Amino acid sequence: MNSGVIVLAEPRVSLCGSAALLLDAEGPLALPTQERIWRLSGEVRQWDGVVDVQPGMNSLLVVLDPLDADPALLSARLLEVWPTIEAGRIASRLLEVGVVYGGEGGQDLPALAAYHRLDIGAVVALHAAPEYVVFAPGVSPGFGYLFGLDQRLFTPRHKVPVMRPVGGRVAIGGGQANLGSPRMEGGPAMQPTGWHAIGRAPALPVPFDLSKREPNLLSLGDRIRFRIDRIER
Amino acid sequence: MIEILDTPPLNSVQDLGRLGFRCHGMGRSGAMDRVALQAANALLGNDETAAGIEFQLFPAVLRFHAGTVFALTGADCAARLDGHPLPPWWAMEAKAGQELVLSPPQHGLRSYLAVQGGIDVPPVFGSRSTQMRDGFGGLAGRALCAGDRLAAMPAPPCATRDRAGYGALPASFALAAPVHETAGEGEIVLRVIAAAEYEQFDEASRASLWNMPWKVTSQSNRQGYRLAGSALQRTELLEMRSHGIVPGVIQVPPSGQPIIQLADGNSAGGYPKIGVVIEADLWRIAQAAPGNILRFVACTLEEARAAEREIATYLAKLRRLAGYCRLPIMEKAA
Repeated sequence: MNSGVIVLAEPRVSLCGSAALLLDAEGPLALPTQERIWRLSGEVRQWDGVVDVQPGMNSLLVVLDPLDADPALLSARLLEVWPTIEAGRIASRLLEVGVVYGGEGGQDLPALAAYHRLDIGAVVALHAAPEYVVFAPGVSPGFGYLFGLDQRLFTPRHKVPVMRPVGGRVAIGGGQANLGSPRMEGGPAMQPTGWHAIGRAPALPVPFDLSKREPNLLSLGDRIRFRIDRIER
Repeated sequence: MIEILDTPPLNSVQDLGRLGFRCHGMGRSGAMDRVALQAANALLGNDETAAGIEFQLFPAVLRFHAGTVFALTGADCAARLDGHPLPPWWAMEAKAGQELVLSPPQHGLRSYLAVQGGIDVPPVFGSRSTQMRDGFGGLAGRALCAGDRLAAMPAPPCATRDRAGYGALPASFALAAPVHETAGEGEIVLRVIAAAEYEQFDEASRASLWNMPWKVTSQSNRQGYRLAGSALQRTELLEMRSHGIVPGVIQVPPSGQPIIQLADGNSAGGYPKIGVVIEADLWRIAQAAPGNILRFVACTLEEARAAEREIATYLAKLRRLAGYCRLPIMEKAA
């Protein structure tokens, strides 16, 4: 199994096809770096030729107009502007989320504990200890990617994506944590994922409301604390 | 007004997708074959962002409850209007009460139906496309089913100059197919730009990407296509931080079997990216069926830009020529 994470010495901009650029920040995953990513995102959105931006974990995806934008020019501009962006706190709220660890919906917990040679209770305690920060939007509207996972729980993603239940899924992927949205009425019960499902949050507030201009309940920079409601073995 | 009389699951209202809302975790969604949908709208003189219906499973049966000019593009689904066969990539008038039957295509996978003015469903975050995974957009956030009625947006009434209708040269004939040296008959060639983790793959894997056939597996849908071929391996298995991704990205999970993320794919991911299929070739994937063979050929930014321009020119010409094939209703009455 793999165990390391890619850490860049210098920021890097790479092509993501013919109409998108990806800026990867230098250094280990960090909050100040992410604060700079959020600020950069707001600035780059205004640039000519940019049609969308999306913060990732210490990275920024910049989507370009495929006909009119000049990727080489914008790539150079990104590298030029990035070092000038300063870190800075943004206002944030805290959401506490009750979690049922293990059991159905958390079926990867025993294997994950075995992988780390920890008992299940220790894994749960490590997971529930920190305050997590919403770092980046997720794969669909909802709570987004969380920063703050205790690196003792660093777990490589599944070799092949597995089918796991949808609905308040609490999961670990590499050095990251996340919290899935509640299941949509009529939506699929299972989705493929490379992440390890360690629990579920049965009583989640609805994380997004599409009738609102800002649909997500939590914004980038907001915090989540997981409360241990029960451990199912 | 169109009524769906019969349809298998997974056919849905789609436009060109959502742009500008990735900060909320919203990917693009929209038509898998964007060229076909745009061509259907161009045939009718619709706004290019108008919504149509994407058919990916057949047979489907619809009834027109009001007269309209409609266009059908994408995979040839041997359509019949009240029993009369339609050529592929065709636009014609339907009278109130007429029934349109779409049958499983012999080649290709997805067909597109556009009506004058476009399908009228409420836009959600700038788009009428159905995001089935998260259940929003389109008609109530879901695929179409029998009994659904879809209204058209208002459009100036018009008729076709020729009662038989008029057609377009399909994109697969009009647009130059990318060339791959060892591709066999019927294999689908896609242009790819190497992505950030390309250099992390060993030499044999990098060569395999360009030289080996990639079979579309049955685990392929609007979210993405899983491919089968010789396993792609990295020299060192490092974990990635999650980052934004675009439709067309070729991710390689540790199994070594690549996944191309598509219209309803995740807006972010953490598997290494060996390359990205250029935007201008995504419609070719949309028409690739399980069992088809894909081939990847390296492409420069200049070539990608030229391919984009070729599509834009094709659609603009189609729109102009189609304009001559329609008449405003008033003129016809006089």
